Amino acid sequence: MRPGTLLRLALAGTRTDGARVALTALSAALATLAGLAALTVLAVAKPPGDEWTQSEQYTTALLREPGLRPGVAFALLLLCVPVLGLAGQCARLGAPGRDRRLAALRLAGATPGQVTRLAVAETGVASLLGTVSGLAVFEVGRRLLHRPDAAGRLPLPTDMHPAPAAVAAVVVGLPLVAALVSALLLRRVTTTPFGVVRRVRTRAPWPWPGVLILVALASFAAIRPLLLWYERRDAVEPDGLVPTLVVVGSLAAMIGVVSGTGWISYTVGRVLHRHGRGPAALLAARRLTADPWAGSRTFAALLAALIFGAGAAAIRADFLARIELSRIADSGGMAGSDSFYLGAMDLVDLAVAVAVAIAAGGLLVAVVEGVTSRRRAYAAQVATGVPRSTIGRSLLWASIAPAAPAIALALTVGYLLIRGTLPAPSGGDFERVVCDTGPQGCGTDGVATRTEWVPKVTVTPDVPWEQLAWFAAGGLAAVLVTVGAGLLLLRSATSVEELRAS
Amino acid sequence: MTFLEARGVVRAYGPTPALRGVTLDVAEGEILAVTGPSGCGKSTLLHCLAGILRPDAGQVTWRGERIDTWSEAARSRLRRTEFGVLFQFGQLVAELTAAENVALPLLLAGTGRRAARTAALTWLERLGVAEVADVRPGEMSGGQQQRCALSRALVTEPRVLFADEPTGALDTLAGEQVLTQLVRLAREQRTTVVLITHEPRIAAYADREVSLRDGMVDHTGLGLDPALPGGSR
Repeated sequence: MRPGTLLRLALAGTRTDGARVALTALSAALATLAGLAALTVLAVAKPPGDEWTQSEQYTTALLREPGLRPGVAFALLLLCVPVLGLAGQCARLGAPGRDRRLAALRLAGATPGQVTRLAVAETGVASLLGTVSGLAVFEVGRRLLHRPDAAGRLPLPTDMHPAPAAVAAVVVGLPLVAALVSALLLRRVTTTPFGVVRRVRTRAPWPWPGVLILVALASFAAIRPLLLWYERRDAVEPDGLVPTLVVVGSLAAMIGVVSGTGWISYTVGRVLHRHGRGPAALLAARRLTADPWAGSRTFAALLAALIFGAGAAAIRADFLARIELSRIADSGGMAGSDSFYLGAMDLVDLAVAVAVAIAAGGLLVAVVEGVTSRRRAYAAQVATGVPRSTIGRSLLWASIAPAAPAIALALTVGYLLIRGTLPAPSGGDFERVVCDTGPQGCGTDGVATRTEWVPKVTVTPDVPWEQLAWFAAGGLAAVLVTVGAGLLLLRSATSVEELRAS
Repeated sequence: MTFLEARGVVRAYGPTPALRGVTLDVAEGEILAVTGPSGCGKSTLLHCLAGILRPDAGQVTWRGERIDTWSEAARSRLRRTEFGVLFQFGQLVAELTAAENVALPLLLAGTGRRAARTAALTWLERLGVAEVADVRPGEMSGGQQQRCALSRALVTEPRVLFADEPTGALDTLAGEQVLTQLVRLAREQRTTVVLITHEPRIAAYADREVSLRDGMVDHTGLGLDPALPGGSR
């Protein structure tokens, strides 16, 4: 097939196909923006001097302090996770229509390989459109936002530009990865002239993701003992040790929680089937056990964002404990820098909120797609007397029942990862000179001073219940709002007209 | 008092008229075949009679009461309790087992789960598909699926069964089996049947036949010509 023909056929289709291409491109554009922003932060050159020398050209300490910049870049890269989740959901939009189109192409003589290339090309081209648009927006944004203040300092690193090779890696690499993932997902799909056949996993999910979660917790928990081990031997740990443990632990936690949601869905479905009352619970229970991985697919981005959010909540609790320790034991440490660190954590919370909002977008696409792809079955049920409210309640059950425990798991894992890394801060265990009459009375000769022993104090960080509850409520609200929006479609989706559609 | 009646029923889909003033009566216990070529309005008439669709004009009465003016919820209740509906395909819930599919109308009516399952198993047994009670629709043959669907339509012991091309997606042998059972059970229970078909062979199972043509009852008395494709005349 000629490239032109491949491109034309890949991008042909109905309005829904157009919407899928547009949403895929939008997701790729957002991911490109986040990726380029992270690369720009990393491109900020360290000024001459020691490792603490700050880049004074920026107004915000997040960019000024060299120790904080990798964290900012990491947070920006993490924003890509929900964006890529959104892209994954968008790929399912209008899937039945696309399947029919691909089957028609097979009927017209296309080989299975050509049909696969068409599907892969659609994703790749849409992603490339997105990354190129994202690059354009990034360049325009850089120029528009380059506004130094009176002292010549910048609010954003608009004076920097990522290396051309890194830019090319994002703009070209992202579509290539998207196409590759699309090809991998199509391994289980066979397009025949009569339709698309998907090999589905019929085996019940096992709780093996629990092992991954344990690996994640162990990776994070190992960081401090390993650093102490090197310290005791006056040795320096290998450069990549901590980043490797963090990356491996984060990935294991995300994969463990997301794939564990499949097992949660299946188990919740079984419990609901056994103990649930009424047809709505029965319909939801059977739906959960028939396709337990639907929950993993749908909630992946949301859960990833919540793991990160819970980790951030644990770091904030640690900061607060250190501030408290400074107050009690006068140990210096974070005294005076509370507002800066807590302000930085506010920014992280904002990033989590943005990630949850993006994940909710993906959720909405999944819910709408779920309703529209099953509209004929729903219409037949309504025609035989099943009330729409029963179908609506079953959809709500099928979403909330696995979402609630999955969100709880994500928050627990996210919190434990950080809590296992950071020991309870302790201080004191030293002598200090106290002047009871004030600086004038004591002077420098030591008169009127006394020595006081500051006992050892350990401040155990509180579990940030309130913040975790807000994250849980936010996650559940995202699920409820998106399911509610999907239910608005139910009336039109169950119209008797659907029974007439071929 | 007429059992089920349509009077001057008119229904259009946008600018396309489907029914143009259809009037017909259905007697209690009768098996009525509504025949006609594709696009003549057979399914639309069934949907209006069963309260799935509201006619644009005219009226539908059930035991002397106009059901076309009822609310959506009331018509849904009527379909759940007094009517059974059987389509060509797509009416079984894919995730539920055969027994659960058959039990669904009873569960909706408030019957306990155990009692609903027992009733469902009885009906599956009567239709000769007890062996697929715990199997999902995707793992059944077309004939088995349709017999499950028939069990589900009859489990509430409806007064009227509406069957829209019930054998249209089946091979000849499976179609014959489904239809034979449908007619036998309808006669045993004195269930009224409105059977939509474009096949004269299927219509022959009915007590009476009404032909539609271009959205109106065909009074020419020519009936269907089996020699022509699709039964069109």
